[in-house]
Amino acid sequence: MSKLNIKNLIKSFPSMDRPAVNNVNLDIESGELVAFLGPSGCGKTTILKMITGLFQPDSGDIILDEQSLLKIPTEKRGVVMVFQNYLLFPYMNVNENVGFALKMKNVDKNTIDQKVKEMLELVKLPDIGLRKPKQLSGGQQQRVALARALISNPRILLLDEPLSNLDAHLRDEMRELIVTIQQKLKVTTIFVTHDQEEAVLLADKIALIFDGELQNFTSPKNYYEKPKNIKAAKFFGGVNFINAKKHNDNLSTNIGTVHYKGENYTDLNEDNIITIRPENIKLSKNNDFNDNSFKGLIKSVIFSGTHTRYKIIVNNLELECSLQSVGLQDIKTDDTIYVHLPSDKIWAMNE
Amino acid sequence: MGGERLKIILSLTPPLLIIFTLFFGGIFYGFLQSLGYQPAIGKYEINFSAYYNVMFSERYAKLFWTGLGLNLWVSFASTFLAAVFALFGALAIRKTFFAKTICNFIYSLNLPMPHLVVAVGIIFVFSQSGLLARFASQIGLIGSPGDFPVLVKDKYGLGIILAYIWKEAAFFFIILMSVLQSLGENFEELAQSLGANRWQRFRYVILPLVMPNLFSASIIVFAFSFGAYEVPALLGVIYPQMLPVMAFEFFLNPDLNARSEGMALSIIIAIIVMILVVFYFWLTQAKIRKD
Repeated sequence: MSKLNIKNLIKSFPSMDRPAVNNVNLDIESGELVAFLGPSGCGKTTILKMITGLFQPDSGDIILDEQSLLKIPTEKRGVVMVFQNYLLFPYMNVNENVGFALKMKNVDKNTIDQKVKEMLELVKLPDIGLRKPKQLSGGQQQRVALARALISNPRILLLDEPLSNLDAHLRDEMRELIVTIQQKLKVTTIFVTHDQEEAVLLADKIALIFDGELQNFTSPKNYYEKPKNIKAAKFFGGVNFINAKKHNDNLSTNIGTVHYKGENYTDLNEDNIITIRPENIKLSKNNDFNDNSFKGLIKSVIFSGTHTRYKIIVNNLELECSLQSVGLQDIKTDDTIYVHLPSDKIWAMNE
Repeated sequence: MGGERLKIILSLTPPLLIIFTLFFGGIFYGFLQSLGYQPAIGKYEINFSAYYNVMFSERYAKLFWTGLGLNLWVSFASTFLAAVFALFGALAIRKTFFAKTICNFIYSLNLPMPHLVVAVGIIFVFSQSGLLARFASQIGLIGSPGDFPVLVKDKYGLGIILAYIWKEAAFFFIILMSVLQSLGENFEELAQSLGANRWQRFRYVILPLVMPNLFSASIIVFAFSFGAYEVPALLGVIYPQMLPVMAFEFFLNPDLNARSEGMALSIIIAIIVMILVVFYFWLTQAKIRKD
């Protein structure tokens, strides 16, 4: 189990007009499963490659268990990376692929054979040792790549888009396997993804990165309920944003005064933006709510199976609400409606 | 279906006819001559005496076997060294750096050069009256250009090997560069993160990945250098003599009877190369079956 600290990390490439990684700071605890999430080209893989030592940062430091990694060559860092396209050596069979790291350390053959067997059992592929990579399915190749990475007991395991090349059903299976193995071995793990659902399902914490800059580093739940900024909120499906000013312990908006219970009230500036997730908004034809209730007009109703989405105009502002379809009131387009924004579900961010 | 088939056969017939007439026709006629069949000089009897003469007669046996030894040595050494130079060159140049284009150009420059020009270039540079010898003498490394080691027209075929390395390294280089560029560096980066040091990455990753292409290119280069005439003719010595030069001298012999020996020698060269190619295909097929 190893603790990783990334300090003021900066990396530029001549071909880019902005730093690929710009002043990133992260503290990853031992045994944590962390996701680097962001769109393509945001710098996630660049950070991963700096942790492995394949790229050198322009400035900043990467500290593993209180020791800087910058002067340690890649092969001696104990940081193992599983690449997006698995990269099983095509001229080796599965046993040879999995045992590669131990062979590089000149471990004796019997020990290698024993460890290879254990690793293949761990990834639930005990009987394919003599096959060549091209005889394996994508899911099997991914498992073998994982076994190969784990055999040397890495201090940090890095997974570059581990599920992106798999079919939907294999993705679920692999996701489960990664979590199971990570919890069993307690290896500090970082994986890169552009899929927020994947990040939420797998990670203990998510580092959200845009344009080389770390936007936020917190638990998946916080991204939904307490996003740090509007970019982070939007990336996690936030659609409702209302300009708000601090006013007598509440927030004044152009739909009316909003009663706010968020613990960050004192940290807020004068001008803020409040957000609420579509599934937290409540609707009623009668004004059944005590506070934060606003009169609006239904603009559209879209049925999407388990949920129904509504677009509501409240004082020229469009809000989106998603309600479970079962037991729903009969609400139609152009109906007048009362929109309730529960004060404990609203989150305010500095503008 | 039948019409389609006929169309394919008809469209293939003209090129096949040319190949059969020129290639197999020539080979067949040459083979007949090697068996002593030369109607132009009244020889109709078919036998293997030309083969026997070339390989075992008192007159030619020593020439043939030393020539064959020299041929094998020159072809193996030049193919191996050209491949090694090209591999290290390609590994050094494949990464992006400021002079990559120029280095690429210099390394590939020899490719369009005729072998004859390269051979003359070797004489100009490496002979005892060449540039290197004069330069070494000028700066006092050697007393006179004559003290320069014999690298051209020497009995070990060093000049020939140098010429082939100079020429064929470019061919290997082009092939290796395209393989290395298409492979990218991910395999090496992966191996490095799995603990492989520089030598281990070369031994266990790069070499096995480029080996199939390197091996195919080696077969082509070996076959060429084994059967080529002009470079050994220019840079070789009278004894030992490489087999293609020896064969050509049989042809130049005013005695037309010697043509059978020349043809026999040519057929022997072709057979050796063909054995090698068959061995290569057998190896690759065995590997495919194993995989």
